[in-house]
Amino acid sequence: MSEPRFVEAVGPDVDTAIQNGLKKLDADMKDVIVEVLEESTKGFFGIGGRQAKVRLTLLAPPSRKQKPPTPAPKPAARKKARPAPAPEAELELAATPPAPDDELARVAEDTLRELLARMGIEDTRIEAYYVEAADQKETSPLVLQVLGRDLGTLIGRRGDTLSALQYITRLIVSRELQSRANIVVDVEHYKARREKRLRSLALRMAKQAVQRGRTVTLEPMPAYERRIIHLTLRDRTDVYTQSVGEGSSRKVTIVPVQNR
Amino acid sequence: MKELVEYIAKSLVDDPSQVDVTEINKSSFVVLELRVAPEDMGRVIGRNGRVANAIRTLLRVPAARQGKRVNLEIV
Repeated sequence: MSEPRFVEAVGPDVDTAIQNGLKKLDADMKDVIVEVLEESTKGFFGIGGRQAKVRLTLLAPPSRKQKPPTPAPKPAARKKARPAPAPEAELELAATPPAPDDELARVAEDTLRELLARMGIEDTRIEAYYVEAADQKETSPLVLQVLGRDLGTLIGRRGDTLSALQYITRLIVSRELQSRANIVVDVEHYKARREKRLRSLALRMAKQAVQRGRTVTLEPMPAYERRIIHLTLRDRTDVYTQSVGEGSSRKVTIVPVQNR
Repeated sequence: MKELVEYIAKSLVDDPSQVDVTEINKSSFVVLELRVAPEDMGRVIGRNGRVANAIRTLLRVPAARQGKRVNLEIV
């Protein structure tokens, strides 16, 4: 049991990174949980590219003795000849539980469960998984996805109940672990859906700003939604974004850059 | 509702033994009085009352189910 339970490995793409990690662990694909920490990106002419990074967690000690002695037909032959899967396939693997079994995930899930129980929310399931950070300078956030029926009340108007739930969960977990906990609480993929919409909104409004040569002002949004707009347009050279206003009426403006 | 406030407060303060929540039930609304050690007031209120307001927001979920309004006071 003194052997490392997980390794992190890098490679030019996700699949190679996984293979490198498996070599380090001396384990087979079926013995590990794969988390994609960072996807690889292609730079221009090899400059500025980023390697893929994965974390492999051992499900059980890799010793073959642990295998049940039943003479189950082994699918090993098929496994060996496994063609290199598309990166998308690996990503999906990473985004699907089995849940990560680290201290943060455990404490965070317990805390959220306690909160929900006391709010009278029953019959829910929590999926915990790590996702790639929106901003690459940050650590991967742990997502706690609450799934169940009739959870609209948990989201609230403009997601304010969800925001409060995330805030309190982060606060309690950070205090318990004595370090800032990067946790995202989501309900029925509300945030993921919202993020998608906000991204396309950002692109559409940026186009409009450029075409009309005028500043476009968006609706007031909470901080994390404004952040999605800022991040979406961060690398653009034809527009820049700025938040104006105070408190709950703070909104993003998209300003076209006047060239010439 | 009382248990929710109690759980959050006890998780955030330095002295959980001094956390006390009193629930006062009226026909259409509930008043929750939260008491903590004086040194822990800041923790349950938060900067600009952010923690207290988040607790109030969460309280609206169970309150709505009971068809009541809820008022959290930190005393």
